[in-house]
Amino acid sequence: MQSNLIPALDPAPLPGPQWLFHVLWVVTFLIHLTFVNTVLGGSLLAALAGFTRSGRREIQTTFVEINSWAISLAITFGIAPLLFMQVLFGRFFYTATILVAWAWLGMLVVLTVAYYLNYVAKFRLRAGKGAAGVLVVEALGFLAIAAIQVTVNLLHLQPARWEQVAANSMAALSDPTFVPRFLHFVLAAVAMAGALLAWVAVRRAGNGGEPAALGGMARFGVRAALIATLLQLVDGFWLLLALPEGVLRALMRGGPVTMVPLGLGILAGVLLLLVLAQISDPLAQPAKVRRVAELIIGAMVFMVLTRHQLRDIYLAPSRGDEHVAVAPQWGVLAMFLVVFVVCVGLTIYAVVRAVKDRPGPGEQAA
Amino acid sequence: MDYPIWNLALGGGVLIGIVAITHVLVSHFAIGGGLAIAIIETLAVRRRDPALRALAKRSSLMLILVSTVFGAISGVGIWVTIGLVQPAATSALIHNYVWGWAAEWGFFILEVVTALLYYATWDKVRPRTHLVIIWLYFFAAFMSLVIIQGILSFMLTPGNWLESHSFWAGFFNPSYVPGLVLRTGICLFLAGAYLTLAALRESDAAARLRMVRLLAVFQVTGALLAYGGYRWWEHALPGSVQAIFLGAKALLPALASTRHLVLWALAFYLLLALYALASPRWHRWPSAVAALLAAFVFFGGYERLREGARKPFVIRDYMFSNGVLVSEIGALNQRGILSKAGWVQLGGDGSAEAKGRAVFRAQCASCHTLDGYLSIRKLVAPVDPDMLRGILTTLREEGNEYSSAGYVHQGHIATEKLDYPLMPPLVGTDAEVDALASYLLSLKPSNVAEVSHAK
Repeated sequence: MQSNLIPALDPAPLPGPQWLFHVLWVVTFLIHLTFVNTVLGGSLLAALAGFTRSGRREIQTTFVEINSWAISLAITFGIAPLLFMQVLFGRFFYTATILVAWAWLGMLVVLTVAYYLNYVAKFRLRAGKGAAGVLVVEALGFLAIAAIQVTVNLLHLQPARWEQVAANSMAALSDPTFVPRFLHFVLAAVAMAGALLAWVAVRRAGNGGEPAALGGMARFGVRAALIATLLQLVDGFWLLLALPEGVLRALMRGGPVTMVPLGLGILAGVLLLLVLAQISDPLAQPAKVRRVAELIIGAMVFMVLTRHQLRDIYLAPSRGDEHVAVAPQWGVLAMFLVVFVVCVGLTIYAVVRAVKDRPGPGEQAA
Repeated sequence: MDYPIWNLALGGGVLIGIVAITHVLVSHFAIGGGLAIAIIETLAVRRRDPALRALAKRSSLMLILVSTVFGAISGVGIWVTIGLVQPAATSALIHNYVWGWAAEWGFFILEVVTALLYYATWDKVRPRTHLVIIWLYFFAAFMSLVIIQGILSFMLTPGNWLESHSFWAGFFNPSYVPGLVLRTGICLFLAGAYLTLAALRESDAAARLRMVRLLAVFQVTGALLAYGGYRWWEHALPGSVQAIFLGAKALLPALASTRHLVLWALAFYLLLALYALASPRWHRWPSAVAALLAAFVFFGGYERLREGARKPFVIRDYMFSNGVLVSEIGALNQRGILSKAGWVQLGGDGSAEAKGRAVFRAQCASCHTLDGYLSIRKLVAPVDPDMLRGILTTLREEGNEYSSAGYVHQGHIATEKLDYPLMPPLVGTDAEVDALASYLLSLKPSNVAEVSHAK
């Protein structure tokens, strides 16, 4: 590779300490990923629900209704990590996206179509019609988006591959970690959506829902989460071993800083598998279903930390001579924090009020 | 130019324009629509008017589909597009305004959640709660505009930021408040025009008249605010831009024509709005659709004008549209443009033609394509070698005017005094300029034919 292909550092200083951007990036990315997993896994399970014997319509309706919120929130919470990432690694990120520009731009078209298809499925199901075909196309759309995201992510980490991809954009897919990383992403999403489905069924059963359909829904969710987690353990090791030798070595020799998050992430995955295997009747084992959800969130937190550390390891050789100037904009940062707290507070207030407020006897609803 | 160049026959600027204009239409409607629906439902509750309630309800699905689906995706679309076409400028904006964007994101969370809640809670919560939700939505949506306007207007009139590099100096720049007034007017008149179409579906004639008249108030207020804001905004622009707007440069009739179109579209819209206010009975589909189209023409034209007014800069007086900084012209004339443009040299064989192509890609390809938008092949076709060298020499000398601040007027570079006021100057060494000239001449149809024949 020509050494001068990595763009120069932006001449403007960073408007805040680097550690703060890293913290905000990881925290907001975690929230984003929770919604992304819900959307991707939910749309896949809704598409696969066509093959179940009981609870098919309930599963489809549940995910379609959840996704009409989750897609919006996934996009909304994707903005912040995108911002903070660009501050720290913009020159790598922009280059990677330009190299696969059509796919990167096309992702938005696919997202728009998939989002509107979710509304089509929602209104069809509400009208008592079938939506299996629509759900399959929607799920394929979200799978394609996942593949594009993984491609750009891998490409921005590896400037050494840029020249090859510039000559042939299909080479963007040739990274040995592409397939295991893509599967890692998809399987995690399916496991989370499966657990969410089981948890929703348990809650509805507790509120007096119809047990037969809810039982089918919960079993489908637990089975999906179990199979996905089982495959994830195999795929996780495949991904680890597929990492470039230098990256794997740096990860393993990073001491507790890298090994604790990775170890805890794997441990959470193994425990998740054990708990899932113990669930034979989800509606009768609500505590275990809740434990599954906790373990999935735990695994996600540790794996996001590992993912963040891997980025630093990958990019270390390319950033050796990087001297980042920092000129914090403390006043503006304070304004952001105040605005953020106020807006989150108002959001919670609106949600709580919408959930709790109901017209009394004789009162009219809005 | 530090980055790879995305070869797009359509032209990167055109793509940004398409995505941006689509997004601003949607996002401004989302703000004005939020206010209109909030007022309509408030009146419906106070007057116990079921027809007004029904109008608010059927408009709210549109608000969701537009605001939280298309608005959110097209907003990200602008990020994606400017990152692909103008990565250096995007990076500069991010480094200066990340906290501003982050604050806007806070409002966006509130906006999206309240929009979804509002639609989901029809017939479920008490009217007071429903009203709280829609008014919170409007507050969040408008505050997003209050923030984003600071960043947008900064690119055109960075003001004292050029000296201080202070966030607030750039944010509260000379065109900030005028632009905010203008955009507030646009929000109102877009919402008024669209919701009138929804109101015309009302079968009860008396109710329909009340709705059309109410929405006409929105339209008239919006149009007057937009007109006042536009005039104020124009007044706040640097003198050199105003001169171009007013047709001082015969070479640049397009911006002056767009300005005429924009003002006439607004006048037409205002007339239709007054007509709706005075004779709501006769304001039906044809005049309502015409008003909506006039609103689109005004807004689209204004955005085109704003983008055009910024040329040849992407951030006025700081960074040119090809990513070259005003402050680095001298250094690049010494070191050569190719010293910081590794990507454009990929695949080159070291020949003079390859070097010329690389210089073209580094400096010109952000606006000019080979055969598509602003095709360089078409532009050089009628130019003879002496004329071409003359143009390139002038463009290069204009770089000296920029770097020596020879044409500064009231703190701004007076681009109207340049021969090519919409083009960045040509920078680089003598050898690079020669290579560029040779490359451009090789694109002339006669030369291409000769080369093909020789092969």
